[in-house]
Amino acid sequence: MKLKKHLASVGTIAVSMALSANVAFAACATDGLPASMDGPDGYPERALTMIVPYGPAGGSGQVAQAMAQAVSDLTGVSINRDHKPGGSGAVGMTSFMATPADGYTVLEHIDDASSGHALDSSRPNPADDLIPLVTSQITFSQVYIRVEEDRFTDWASFVDWVKAQDGKATIANVSKEGSMERVTMKFITDATGMEIQQISFDKGAPRYGALAGGQVDALFEQPGDVRKFLDAGTFKPILTILKEAPEAFADVPSLTDAGLDFEPLYRFRGFYVHKDAPADRVEWLQWAFQKAYCEESYQKYNESKFMTLIESFRDTEGSRELINNTVAQYRDVYKAMGLEVK
Amino acid sequence: METFNNFLGGTVALFSDPLGILIFFGGVIGGMLFGAIPGVSMLTLAAILLPFTAHLSPEHGIMLFSVIYCTGVYGGAITAILFNIPGAPENAPTAFDGYPMTKNGQAGKAVGAAVMCSALGGTVSAVIMMIATAPIANWAISAFGPPEIFALVFFGLAVASSVGAKTFWKGWLSILAGLLIAIVGLDPVGGIERWDFNMPYLLAGIHFIPTILGFFAVTEIFVQAEKKAKGSYVAPKLSVDFPTLAELIAHKVAVIRSIVIGFFCGILPGIGATLAAFMGYNEAVRWSKNPSEFGKGKLEGVISSETANNAATGAAMIPLLALGLPGGALTAMMVGVFQMHDMEPGPLVFINSADLVWVVFAAMFFANLSILFVGYLETKTIINLLRIPFQFLAPMILCLATVGAYAVRGLTIDVIVMFVAGAIGFFLRRSGYSVAGIVLGLILGRIGEQTFAQAMQMLHFEWSGFIGRPIALGLIIAGFLTLGGSIYGAFFKKV
Repeated sequence: MKLKKHLASVGTIAVSMALSANVAFAACATDGLPASMDGPDGYPERALTMIVPYGPAGGSGQVAQAMAQAVSDLTGVSINRDHKPGGSGAVGMTSFMATPADGYTVLEHIDDASSGHALDSSRPNPADDLIPLVTSQITFSQVYIRVEEDRFTDWASFVDWVKAQDGKATIANVSKEGSMERVTMKFITDATGMEIQQISFDKGAPRYGALAGGQVDALFEQPGDVRKFLDAGTFKPILTILKEAPEAFADVPSLTDAGLDFEPLYRFRGFYVHKDAPADRVEWLQWAFQKAYCEESYQKYNESKFMTLIESFRDTEGSRELINNTVAQYRDVYKAMGLEVK
Repeated sequence: METFNNFLGGTVALFSDPLGILIFFGGVIGGMLFGAIPGVSMLTLAAILLPFTAHLSPEHGIMLFSVIYCTGVYGGAITAILFNIPGAPENAPTAFDGYPMTKNGQAGKAVGAAVMCSALGGTVSAVIMMIATAPIANWAISAFGPPEIFALVFFGLAVASSVGAKTFWKGWLSILAGLLIAIVGLDPVGGIERWDFNMPYLLAGIHFIPTILGFFAVTEIFVQAEKKAKGSYVAPKLSVDFPTLAELIAHKVAVIRSIVIGFFCGILPGIGATLAAFMGYNEAVRWSKNPSEFGKGKLEGVISSETANNAATGAAMIPLLALGLPGGALTAMMVGVFQMHDMEPGPLVFINSADLVWVVFAAMFFANLSILFVGYLETKTIINLLRIPFQFLAPMILCLATVGAYAVRGLTIDVIVMFVAGAIGFFLRRSGYSVAGIVLGLILGRIGEQTFAQAMQMLHFEWSGFIGRPIALGLIIAGFLTLGGSIYGAFFKKV
């Protein structure tokens, strides 16, 4: 099929661009896909449903809204978002798995689905039990401090200061068991030898407020989520958790600059369909969601969220590769951390 | 003077634009209507409208959401008072006394008090918001961390221990039952699975909206149905009499106290109107000379709850606008509206978009005032629903509650939870336990557990850490004193 060839080439390009910093994205990843595509046998005859396992106001809610809008603009097909928050995405995933595999229901999910499967293989594997339509956001994490902070000013002085506190220093993050944040913090503390108390805030506002109000000493977060604080000059990054710093944060030390040798974990969000959905419908959905990624409205949204600093796009095969690598990476880490991997 | 001039500028900008006026009144009415439907709530309206705000100007988009917020918080009071169905959790304490007032033939008075006090609380809150947004926001986030919020929750639970229960001990057992329900699901800090019985849906915990609907609406239907079957049912007397000015002035202390409490709770990120309403109500009980009258149809109960929850609306805009920190789901959606227009709330918004800020401030001020007028008209009409005979009204309420429970997350289990809670509430009420206490324990338990765990992490798991935080320490001491006083009363005084 023509589309498959297109997708294969797009995937190759995307993978080759993978995680390379300092790339100018003048052309969009799916510009080569056909501008329009008819659905098989009149599909879709009605609106699609997008299950979102998180609330409408968070990162997932926003990306779901932006992607649904872009797909609707592109295809004229409405997408109803059905938010089913709770259980770190488990409620939404379970609800999705219970829907008919007819291609009318898609799922938005984040890397938590991959790390959840890594910890407990009875949970669905997004690469095998679902078909990834597109991964549309991939981002990295940073460590932030307040701009007005005078006890430390950069990564080196922060590490020295934390070590001097004898375990009393604090950092706000989402440190649930097995989370990307907790695992990455383990990498950092192991590599630096510093001890720091992680304070777990599951909602963004209290987490950011904790740093702004001086309740904690630092914050672990992704740049898009705290962009307003960066633009306002309230927070500043002192470490970029990437091997090489992207151009936008060229003056912030990367893992390599800081002498930290570990593979960074990424936050990623994507869209999925049932693996048993009819193949021709899946193909149309792949086209719609991947093409929508390059819609102007979606690209503008991604840009506003710092999601263009590293390549955010993965097609189906690229997403599978990303998920499988992530699952393997988490599984190794969990075992090393002494967690029970089922 | 500069503030007043800015306010005038915002007002002129708001009312000199026909589309702005249309959006303003659309938001006022939409917020009231959706706010009155349990489970559906103003959040549903906001979620529906969110994509469309991309086609509005930033001023109109943010203004629409802020108006919906003000009137939506009030809207749920009507159904709470008339049918014992709080439109949203922040209206639950309104039902404690509002519904008994309806049964006592004082529905008009209760709804009138809700209208006036919502308008008053919201308007005062909006005025303070205009005067001192930035300094208040900075103070709140630096003075109130997880230890202080936990201490506040502990104090709130200590104060509310006997609300709606026949004895102190039954009150506490009710609250403890609520706290127990609150621990179902993933623990809020470590993500450990608890009491989920291998059911993924329970990982998200027992949602408080179906629980509230069950304990309040369904239980009430069961109780009234039993009376109907026994022939002892008495239909609520219809009354459209508003409270007199003298009655409201007589409660001036309760109003002022609730404004302070509501405002204070509103400015804490992630806390908001629900805690405000419960705290406002609890403090009214605590300071009352006749606390045993609460829960039986006391006007002060409605006044305290409704003043406090609307006083939280203006306050919740303070951390949002000054710091970019949304206090709840609706203010978080407002961040989305800002972002759709390439803007971010935060300190820069006052510099880069001062006009927008003042249009929003003016809109919130007038939205709260409009509650008075639109709410008055609404009251005179909606109250007539009480004329519907019970055998027709009860199925309608059950349908509405079922839709509301399902609408929260689109999960059947929430409907089941609602009916189970309704059945349990039916038997608990007979034996003198407090369904209000269970709901209070459930709502505050979630916040309390999370902030307690965070506080212990921050204090390095040393209890003595609270001593170094004067506000937290003061609230904990006050909580223990209240508790001690209640225990003393339970042993040595006639309850």
